[in-house]
Amino acid sequence: MEAFQGCPGSRMMDFSQKKVPEGEEPTGKIESQLRQWPIQLHLISPLAPYYRGADVLLTADCVAYALGDYHREHLKGKSLAIACPKLDEGQDVYVGKIKAWIDEAKINTLTVMIMQVPCCMGLLSLAQEAAQKATRKVPIKYLVVGLQGEILQEEWV
Amino acid sequence: MEEYLNKGIKEVITQFPAVDKILEENGIGCGPCSVGTCLLKDIVAIHDLPEDDQRVMMARIAKVIYPDKVIPLPPVTKKKETGPKELKYSPPMKALVDEHVLIKRWLALIPAVLEHLDLSSEEGRNLILQGVDFIRSYADRYHHAKEEDVLFGYFDPNLDILKVIIQDHIQGRGHVQAIVEGVERQDKGAVTEHLTAYRNLLTGHIKKEDEILWPWMERNLTMTQIGELYAKFQETDQRMGLSTEKFENFITNLEKKYKA
Repeated sequence: MEAFQGCPGSRMMDFSQKKVPEGEEPTGKIESQLRQWPIQLHLISPLAPYYRGADVLLTADCVAYALGDYHREHLKGKSLAIACPKLDEGQDVYVGKIKAWIDEAKINTLTVMIMQVPCCMGLLSLAQEAAQKATRKVPIKYLVVGLQGEILQEEWV
Repeated sequence: MEEYLNKGIKEVITQFPAVDKILEENGIGCGPCSVGTCLLKDIVAIHDLPEDDQRVMMARIAKVIYPDKVIPLPPVTKKKETGPKELKYSPPMKALVDEHVLIKRWLALIPAVLEHLDLSSEEGRNLILQGVDFIRSYADRYHHAKEEDVLFGYFDPNLDILKVIIQDHIQGRGHVQAIVEGVERQDKGAVTEHLTAYRNLLTGHIKKEDEILWPWMERNLTMTQIGELYAKFQETDQRMGLSTEKFENFITNLEKKYKA
């Protein structure tokens, strides 16, 4: 029987021996695709002009660090907010803000990116709750990111 | 090879019949297509075969066309895979897929409807005209209009596969008009002929969309386009104010009548 190793979200793991295949490391300066500030979900106004009619990306805090291609493959062309469903307080405010994106800012789509650790599902639940409360409907997609930056799952809500 | 990649598939198959068999073995059923103007290179790209399968298929086709030469093959036409392979339809595309389900239920009923065809009675004529109303209002105005007026606008109108699909719609409308005229003349032969032809046409048409066109479109739509499509489909639904329940009831009642 395996010893209990604690919460998967905070279990210690070391990927330092992971090798990046030759020729796969990008060369030159990589431009940021971020086109707004602030980005933390408590700090943003859901009615800020860059959210109106936008494709919005709601990302769990850790995702951008795990995914090597986050800016180019996922953030590009989207308006962003980040949050941590495990550590952030006052998450009922988050539901109201996501609902305001859908109903008032009339966003075009919502993409939720979370990590594979169980606690991260909370961010998707918040988005689903907000979508259920909203009167408008928009396509919502979620992506689950592995600890070493692989896309494990991509689904429509 | 470039020369043949840019030729219509019918022309390639006519010149090299063995190509038809190779395509068929890879699940590409272009042989029976009545139009056949899609370019070989587009067909290869649109079917999105696994990389190795595509490479082997192209090598076999090259061998048929140039049996005595070693031909450099074109690069595999696949988008870089960044996520899981299995295709999952986005909400607007899924709505179109779901609408096919009711249309297919109607197509499945047509043989039984024709078996009991009675144009001498008002009841019998009304049944066919209700079927026509289903085709015109639900299958054509509600469903095909979303494709022609909204979805296809996101793709190159010169794509041969889109021309084929629109041609199917036009041909279908012709059969429906002929059915209505047949009912007016109480011409059993004409109604049978055109309703059967409509069934055959739509069966192939839906297969083309479900298995080829829509998966390809889904793969090529951006997230922004998916959001726009979803909003436009909702606007179309609201503007038309069509009650799909009426048509679902029509089909369900027919199923009870003929399967009882």
